[in-house]
Amino acid sequence: MLWKPLNKLFSGIKWVPGSLQTRLLWASIVLLPVLIIFAGAALQNAYESSLFASERSQAQLQTYGILGSADLVDGELVLPRRLQEPRFSQVQSGLSGLVFDAQGLLRWQSESSALLDEQFIMQVSTFQPEPGSSRFQHLKDQGFYLYVYPLVWEIEEKEFRYTIAIVSSDATAMEELLAFQRQLWGWLLAVYLLALLLQFLILRWGLKPLDDLADDLSMIEQGEAEKLEGVYPYEVERITKNLNRLIESERSQRERYRNTLGDLAHSLKTPLAVIRGAGEEKHSLASYKRLVDEQSDRMTQIVQYQLNRAVKSKEQVMTGATSLLLSVDRIVNALSRVYAVKEIDVEREGLNHFFAGDERDLMEMLGNLIENAFKYCDHQVRLSATQEQQWLEIVIENDGQAISTEEHQVVIERGARLDTSRPGQGIGLAVVTDIVSSYNGGIEISQSELGGAQIRLRLPAGEE
Amino acid sequence: MKILVVEDDPDLRRQLVSGLSGRAYTVEDCGDGNEALYQGSEFEYDLAIVDIGLPGMSGLDVIRGWRKTQRQFPILILTARGDWQDKVEGLEAGADDYLVKPFHMEELNARVNALLRRAAGHASPQMTFGPITLDTVARAVFVNGSEIKLTSYEYRTLEYLMVHAGKTISKAELTEHLYHQDYDRDSNVLEVFVRRLRQKLDPDQTLHPIMTVRGLGYRFALEASE
Repeated sequence: MLWKPLNKLFSGIKWVPGSLQTRLLWASIVLLPVLIIFAGAALQNAYESSLFASERSQAQLQTYGILGSADLVDGELVLPRRLQEPRFSQVQSGLSGLVFDAQGLLRWQSESSALLDEQFIMQVSTFQPEPGSSRFQHLKDQGFYLYVYPLVWEIEEKEFRYTIAIVSSDATAMEELLAFQRQLWGWLLAVYLLALLLQFLILRWGLKPLDDLADDLSMIEQGEAEKLEGVYPYEVERITKNLNRLIESERSQRERYRNTLGDLAHSLKTPLAVIRGAGEEKHSLASYKRLVDEQSDRMTQIVQYQLNRAVKSKEQVMTGATSLLLSVDRIVNALSRVYAVKEIDVEREGLNHFFAGDERDLMEMLGNLIENAFKYCDHQVRLSATQEQQWLEIVIENDGQAISTEEHQVVIERGARLDTSRPGQGIGLAVVTDIVSSYNGGIEISQSELGGAQIRLRLPAGEE
Repeated sequence: MKILVVEDDPDLRRQLVSGLSGRAYTVEDCGDGNEALYQGSEFEYDLAIVDIGLPGMSGLDVIRGWRKTQRQFPILILTARGDWQDKVEGLEAGADDYLVKPFHMEELNARVNALLRRAAGHASPQMTFGPITLDTVARAVFVNGSEIKLTSYEYRTLEYLMVHAGKTISKAELTEHLYHQDYDRDSNVLEVFVRRLRQKLDPDQTLHPIMTVRGLGYRFALEASE
């Protein structure tokens, strides 16, 4: 859903290159930084929070240090000049302590606070949190962390309120943070580059079979190889297997065409030679006409036979199953128009099977055989089929004249016709035999119990 | 009988036309699918011969078009490829028979004859009405066993009347089926043919095979004998 508008957006732009590898790399170059920036920001945030927490706990510790040294004498808070923490006694140490009373008057300040701005101290004195709740904040403009701790001292039911403020410079923390950031982003950049490099290598390695395939194909194109011979991963192998089959079937198809053409040229030469020779003999017009007629008949048969052979596919590549019932129905319905006068009774039995092969081939076989049955029958034609595991047996019978055993072979041969009084090209059965053998099937001619010929076809059965 | 030949190859078309005309059929021809569709839908024919591979519109579409407009005349298709897919498609489109190219003129004539007979409901190529026998294969007429010499147009007129025996055929219908559409039609010519036919078939005026139905046309009046 998201891709459609994206594709539309990118479709006009030529900079998205055609190579899969470059496409994936471009995608990584653009998308990885987004990921890395998010990750970097999250890490930086976490580091900042932990830095803040550690500053706060240090300030808390300093407060306890001041508290530990403080004493109340006659209602007055007394603190020694020097505290245990040496930084309180050192000017510009970056750590100062201030104590205010309930009125906000400064009651004590560490020696280190000598250079603190008056106004800043005034500002700090206004922070008076409720007893029990301390306050820690980062005053970025002034460059300090400020911790304010409210203190209530109870002596003889008298309450004395003070506020302890710890002001610590953020310089060190900020430096640490900066160093961390520098390091973090440096590393992330390194990770980015490394990821790109790794991805480039992975892509090179992962897509190499496709490159190999292209190389192998161009080898075939240049005639240096016959088929795709390399070892390919499973996903590509399915393509190469099909490609190989396609190449193979295309090659055998080409070979068949070449053979057909050769056969055709050769077999046409004989009748042509006869006609040419006859021109030089002394023929009467009638006998010359008869001779030309005979030879052109012969040529017609040759052409028709070779055409039919060339059309049918020898190797069955990726063919589905063809319904026997459907093909038989179409042919019988069509032929019933042609042979309407004969009023043929067509008996159909168990035809609901499938043939594992091309529909055109099945039509060609059944067309020729059923038409023969229609042509030679008296009134009855029987079509039946049975399936036994991988094989389909189709039987075509008629009640016409029987053909003798010697004639069986003749019928199948090219151009032979048993009954020359009927129309037809006389090559039907030869073509059927050709197609049947291309499916490694079988054909058998015998006498039907109906009286006429019975043709038994054995063909590979298909699944619906 | 009027036949429409639809074939795009001019040489084959000429051969078909001359072969069929020689057998006393009235033949009209065209070489284009669209024109064929128009002609077959607009004019009366007794049979059409259609090549499947036509320019403009395929022969199959032409046949489907005719059948859609309830044209019932028999159709013979010519196919060059000769594979069964082609033949079955042609027959499914509405053709009645097919012939694979190349073919002999005799074969074509036999198929045409059979189709015309079938359309008229006669199984046998010979029709006998009392002493008169019409042989549609030999294109000859016999009275009491001896052949009567007829001109081509006389034969055509008699054949049409005999094929439709018992039915009154108007002069217009007869003209339509005997002549080319662009022929100058003059019904007087028909009367001349009928008169001559009557003289040749029935010189003694005892049979009266062709009846004139006043104001309507002619009728072949003899009963068919088995």
